[in-house]
Amino acid sequence: MGVMPRTQTTETTRPIKHLNKRVLTNWLSFFVFSGPALIVFAIFMLYPLANMFHVSTLDWEGLIKPSVNIGLANYEKLFTHDRHFSTALLNTAIQIAIALPGTIFPAFILGFFLSLRWPGYRILRTVYFSPVMLAAPGVSMLFLGLYLPDGIINFLLRQFGLESLTHVWLADVNTSLLAVTAVEIWAGIGFYTVLFFGVLSNIPREIYEAALMEGANLWEILWKIVFPMTLDFFGVVLMLHYMWLLLGAAQNVLLLTQGGPGDSSLTLGFYLYKQAFQIRDLGYSQAIGVFIFFVGLAGMLVIRLATHRKY
Amino acid sequence: MSRQEAFSTSRRGVPRFVIGGYVIAAIYALAILIPFYFVFISGFKDNPEIFGSMPLALPSQLNFDKFALAFERADMLNAMWSSLRLVVGAELLTLVLSYPAAYAIARIPIWVARWIELLFAMGLLVPIFALILPVFLLSVQLNMLYDPTYLVIFYAASRLSLSIVLLASNMRDIPIELEEAAMIDGANRLRIIYHIILPLTRSGMVTIIILNFIHFWNEYLFALILLPSDERTLQLALPLLRSERLIDYGLVAAGVVITVIPLYILFITFQERIVTGMLSGSVKS
Repeated sequence: MGVMPRTQTTETTRPIKHLNKRVLTNWLSFFVFSGPALIVFAIFMLYPLANMFHVSTLDWEGLIKPSVNIGLANYEKLFTHDRHFSTALLNTAIQIAIALPGTIFPAFILGFFLSLRWPGYRILRTVYFSPVMLAAPGVSMLFLGLYLPDGIINFLLRQFGLESLTHVWLADVNTSLLAVTAVEIWAGIGFYTVLFFGVLSNIPREIYEAALMEGANLWEILWKIVFPMTLDFFGVVLMLHYMWLLLGAAQNVLLLTQGGPGDSSLTLGFYLYKQAFQIRDLGYSQAIGVFIFFVGLAGMLVIRLATHRKY
Repeated sequence: MSRQEAFSTSRRGVPRFVIGGYVIAAIYALAILIPFYFVFISGFKDNPEIFGSMPLALPSQLNFDKFALAFERADMLNAMWSSLRLVVGAELLTLVLSYPAAYAIARIPIWVARWIELLFAMGLLVPIFALILPVFLLSVQLNMLYDPTYLVIFYAASRLSLSIVLLASNMRDIPIELEEAAMIDGANRLRIIYHIILPLTRSGMVTIIILNFIHFWNEYLFALILLPSDERTLQLALPLLRSERLIDYGLVAAGVVITVIPLYILFITFQERIVTGMLSGSVKS
């Protein structure tokens, strides 16, 4: 920054009285300008975050009921007695294992494809961004029509003579989790494709030219040159989507299966919601929340370590 | 900046990728278009026609009954109005809070600024959905349970991190000489902001406005928890069209179409800006 030396030079040549006033004004201005944002941020984001930890130590079963501090008892119950929790944990692990690479890698490939700006890329980009226009309720309602016993998916299967593959997707214990996961993938690829399109568009074409001249084909260029080059950004995207899958994906579970049938599509995120707003064991739900928080942190750390490069 | 021309397709090593690429691209495009098409035409049909032998056929008649019914059943006009009020309120509040803060971080040379900036940047990592219950509890503590104003404030709070980081980086791109010249001429910070910063950050502001608009308009879970049942947003109204027993899919489909149109119009108009906006937000953070 070229600013610092300049102002300091001017300041030291002025009388001390002005130096204090300048610095004081800076501090005052800073907090006048950023104060409101800081206050709102602290009250509406930081305080709830801290409160999550606090409430997780309580036995609190409904707003009008009193709460009792029970230390780590909620966590004990969570890790030792709760069958739902272990199922949710497994389901979430499966969902993330499928959806994270299943969304980000195709998006990367498609984004690269679009960045080459071949005919039709603009239309494709618009089409791919369409799911973003639909929020969770819209996407879920749309998929209802696909997943119903007489819906489009089963219809197409029958058309191709695959009657035996038809299922009652949302109500079948074996397919409910996959059905919800497919919705996440469908909705997610579009957004990240457009994102990668933007980033990859900035890569100088000379690099591709040079590689082509050495006999590489575009697929090799994508994975041996482009991918390492953008690994950092790729990691950021992975982290973002990882957090979304851990928590935000609960919305689709809420709208499509409510975790059912049984616990077959119960995910950690939805389990948190269920405990908080349906079963109303507030303290317990926050223990789940704290757990998810740390799983999130750990996951992000792993991703970051694997992808971040300091030059 | 991004290349504007198409990358050559005739060089060695490219053609196979061209074919493969278009195939994959087409598959996903169809995976999006077919459902959208299906939903769109189903809005004109009754259940028997939708789930009959030819669900993908064009509707036999352009019957707008379902659309009208959707508006009525889910009270969509009021829902749209609710959404609009909430979104506009949240947008204004976000801007009013984040703009000065971004300026303070970008341009006021005190050591605290770096730490505050770090604080907001860390805010980007906070899993907002995990806070759903504490945020609800806070509304009770503040005596604002089911008060839409609370949701407006929370929405703004949740976007402060992103907005501030984007705006601050936008402001840093303004040549410092402009401000220094103005300072030498005796202008105070407010005048500098008004005459220099404001005009030059117009682009960044529009980006923030659009990104936040999409986010607020589509927001579901927090609106679900924090709003009373007579103050539904468009997203909350949509699931009302689905009844437990018999799902009138034509009705649901019509509702989905109605929900999508406002944002679609917005996107078509601002396509380029939205893409660049998403980009600068992610790269900078």
